[in-house]
Amino acid sequence: MTQLDATLDVTAGARAAGTPQPARERRRRQPVLLWVAEHVVLVALAVLFVAPVVFVFLTSVMNNDQALTSSLWPDHWAWSNYVHVFDVAPLAAWFGNSAMYAVLATAFMLVSSVPAAYALARIEFRGANLIFLAIIVAMLLPPQVVTIPQYVMWTKLHLTGTLWPLILPNLLGDAFSIFLLRQFFLTIPNEYAEAARIDGAGELRVIWKVVLPMAKPGIAATAMFLFFHSWNDYYGPLLYTSESDPAHWPVALGMATFKGAHSVDWSTTMALTMLVMVPVVVLFFFAQRAFVEGVTLTGVKG
Amino acid sequence: MRITPRARTRVAAVAVVAGAATFALSACGSGSDGGADQKIASAAPTHLSGTVSLWHFFSDREAKVIQGVVDDFEKANPDVKVVVHSGQDDEKLRKAIAAGNDVDVAISYSTDIVGNFCQSGAFQDLAKYIARDKVDIGQLLPTARNYTEFDGKRCAMPVLADTYGLYYNKALLSKAGIDAPPKTLDELESDALKLTTYNSDGSIKTLGFNPWMGYQEMAPAHLASATGAKWLDDDGKSVVGSDPGWKELIEWQKSFAEKIGIDKLKKFTAASADEFSAQNDFEIGRVAMNLDGEWRVAFMKDQAPKVDYGTVPFPTAADHTDLYGGGYITGNIGGIAKGSKNPELAWALLKYLTADTSAVVKLANGLQNVPTISSAFDSPDLVRDPHFETFLKIAQDKNSLTTPPSPNGAGYQLAFADWWQKYQTTPGTSDLDAQLKKVDDQINAAASLNSVP
Amino acid sequence: MTTLTETRPAGVPRTPAGGPATRRRSGLRRHRQRVALLLVSPALLGLLIFFVYPLVATVFYSFTHYDLVSSPRWVGLANYKYLFTQDPSVVQAARNTLWFVVFMVPIRIVCAAAVAALLTRPRRTTGVFRTIFYLPALVPPVASVLAFVYLFNPGLGPVNRILKVFGIEGPLWFNDPHWAKPSLLLLAIWMMGDVMIIILAALLDVPRDQYEAASIDGAKGYQKAWFITIPNLRPVIVFSVVTGVIAALQYFTEAAVAAGVASGKALVGEGTGAGLGYPEGSTLTYPQWLYVEGFSNYALGYASALAVVLFVVAGGFVVFLLRRTKAFTGSGS
Repeated sequence: MTQLDATLDVTAGARAAGTPQPARERRRRQPVLLWVAEHVVLVALAVLFVAPVVFVFLTSVMNNDQALTSSLWPDHWAWSNYVHVFDVAPLAAWFGNSAMYAVLATAFMLVSSVPAAYALARIEFRGANLIFLAIIVAMLLPPQVVTIPQYVMWTKLHLTGTLWPLILPNLLGDAFSIFLLRQFFLTIPNEYAEAARIDGAGELRVIWKVVLPMAKPGIAATAMFLFFHSWNDYYGPLLYTSESDPAHWPVALGMATFKGAHSVDWSTTMALTMLVMVPVVVLFFFAQRAFVEGVTLTGVKG
Repeated sequence: MRITPRARTRVAAVAVVAGAATFALSACGSGSDGGADQKIASAAPTHLSGTVSLWHFFSDREAKVIQGVVDDFEKANPDVKVVVHSGQDDEKLRKAIAAGNDVDVAISYSTDIVGNFCQSGAFQDLAKYIARDKVDIGQLLPTARNYTEFDGKRCAMPVLADTYGLYYNKALLSKAGIDAPPKTLDELESDALKLTTYNSDGSIKTLGFNPWMGYQEMAPAHLASATGAKWLDDDGKSVVGSDPGWKELIEWQKSFAEKIGIDKLKKFTAASADEFSAQNDFEIGRVAMNLDGEWRVAFMKDQAPKVDYGTVPFPTAADHTDLYGGGYITGNIGGIAKGSKNPELAWALLKYLTADTSAVVKLANGLQNVPTISSAFDSPDLVRDPHFETFLKIAQDKNSLTTPPSPNGAGYQLAFADWWQKYQTTPGTSDLDAQLKKVDDQINAAASLNSVP
Repeated sequence: MTTLTETRPAGVPRTPAGGPATRRRSGLRRHRQRVALLLVSPALLGLLIFFVYPLVATVFYSFTHYDLVSSPRWVGLANYKYLFTQDPSVVQAARNTLWFVVFMVPIRIVCAAAVAALLTRPRRTTGVFRTIFYLPALVPPVASVLAFVYLFNPGLGPVNRILKVFGIEGPLWFNDPHWAKPSLLLLAIWMMGDVMIIILAALLDVPRDQYEAASIDGAKGYQKAWFITIPNLRPVIVFSVVTGVIAALQYFTEAAVAAGVASGKALVGEGTGAGLGYPEGSTLTYPQWLYVEGFSNYALGYASALAVVLFVVAGGFVVFLLRRTKAFTGSGS
């Protein structure tokens, strides 16, 4: 838990380099009243933020009959809901599809976007400004603006009904990722690369041996963004895969239709909701640093 | 960074190139249209073989019924393999056909797509097959015959029909001292008010009948038979604003809802469980009478076998008692998709599903839907549950109505329903005519937008 | 954040250009030019195929009647005429989207800033609190929506039950046309963690000596906030507003899923499009209407016209933004 804290303070400290950083202890004693007030507000807010998850959890272990009744605490802990979910929907397939979408999209994006971002950040060439401008515009415009011709295009390639229309374009770069990576490359001091060049290293070798190792945190953060964006994506799969059998859906699409399509009760639905929330939280604790650095460095959300 | 003038010309150049590509691509797509002029063999093939795909929207229990009939078809034609795609709604179906995703036979949920699919050629014209194989279209229920063709083009066959009537809970009615179900809208209203009970805080506990527009099956189309209200004239123009039947229904519905209280109804409706779940309001006795389709009989058997209930045609307006006995008819429809690779086999399957008496009876029994060919009505194998009998009669009644096919699909019904849902919450009734006129204009504008120029 | 407003850290010289032009150098330059083209060419191709071409094609389709099954037919301005004079839903959809832009963007930022301000002081529990407020932003939105629609169920949902304890009769939330959008706003506030973290990082970035100097000069708390904190936060706020507006213009998922789940209707056979906007079109957003016209009603020509209008509005905003704020492109060159 405290790692998030430390990460933020470290990044802050690093950026405030040059100014004397006071030690962590409070310089002046806060008036006790203010201290109490702040804590009361914080705790109250935290309770509000945690409450939804608590209620979702409690409902997920209730009997079907008990959800949406007057009692908020389960009479009987029905852990079987978590098994039942897998009977009602092809959940394993959904997670598998989401994983395939997110992993491939991320891998493809890295292959195409890291080189492009490096070139845009560190090499001067004709047209660089125009390309970068186009990337910014592509990144900022709502995707719905270009949805229709894209859809028609994939129709003609007979790839609708699959997740490929969402995965393949990443082989040809992702505007948002290129933007993020370029911003990151700009922060890497150029001296090391220059030194390698003077030693006679070719440009590709410079990138591979010198720049990439230094860019790891930025690359990790960008990959994380795209991974989560793909994992959470609802609009794309709705557009491209909704007509295939449910077993081909990613989890975001599947769970959106889950309750209606199978006339499923709330307890089972909340069990599914927990199952979808938990991996994200677990992943967060493993990869906190990349998350927070990503968000604070770029200030953009996925 | 600034956009330099030179960069601007380059953007323009790129745009021109891309524009040229657009036209090239769209020209590619215009190969074969509709398949209206397709040549077909002079006689139906004597031996069928190959693979054919069947797309339908059913799921779970109902999908199994379809599978049973498909199995029969495969047994009769051992060299044929039917690949079934279940759970495909209209939106997905359309996407799949457009993408050429191997759709041969498609069953759609509603008649609403007929106009659009016939017009765009998404479904092939069946006339030549029907004529060649001498399929007797006169066997079809008249309404079902109407809703499967558009502009004189028959591109679909009815796959069973749905009819709507009134369900009533016998125990609740007798407890309130009502000995017969209502036959007019006024009776429905007064009975409903009698049947409604309240909690101590004033909220509704059980409702006699929920008049809230948008509740479960409460939609304009399902009420039209009560006054014989019409949707479109012969030119496909909206007559919602000029048909007095609609005004009568709107005024009845609104004053009924206001008598119970708009806010109370809203709250009651919002707290209703899913229509198709086992907590359905009628099945748990939360409403005493309900407008619903014939399929509810099967749901009752499955989910609420203990409830003692009856079924009758939906009441009519007091000045339209001659219409009593009719109801709203709609149904599932099937067609052969554009781009089907084996249209003969597709037709054979479609013909089996829609014109073979034993198959239709088996589907009707299994899905508890109304059959659409007269030979099936006469078949001794058709299971005639007394609750279900009501709906068989409604299907054959001359006063039964359907919603006409339109290039705008269900757009005209949705536009009207949307307006009605808003209207029921606005106090006062002063400018009803003007508002309905606007709905007419809106429907006509949308229809012309969706018509192929 | 500094990386957004400066093209490169001060003191780092730009790549070779301008150096002494020896033979070796110019050869190196040509080599690097070739490498650069090699490196960007996939991305360039991607831009042309997946962005420039579709943009032009959208404009073309917007002048046609196109149903995906038969080829497009030219109809001139008919789609635009319908859009601007006859389509009742587009007005409602545009209004709803505007509502999200006007309310969701600033309220989220204000809430995020308020929470971030509470979390700047170093104390033992800060890490726990920061994690609690940040995590909801990571939860898949569809899952969050399911949770919220359940919590705010008008009948016996936990929220209305708790309100009742305090004698408050809760509204119908996602089931009431007046409350559906505010309900979505509550959800968006719950998911504000990303904005909060950015602002928090910027707050921690404010050089403390500025505060100390101000204190020595006798500045009061609010003066410090006005003259030191707010100016230092400006780039972050601009950035949050920009990304917030862009996100609001494409707001789709949360509203779509909430409508589908709250309506409680099984949309068997009809498709997603039929369930959007519930209740009474109050949550129908502009991109959703585009989706309905394009992929439920198969009016791809008309949907393209809707896309062109969205392009003009969003594009106008982007151009305005690129000119005025210099966020994204930086102040270099």
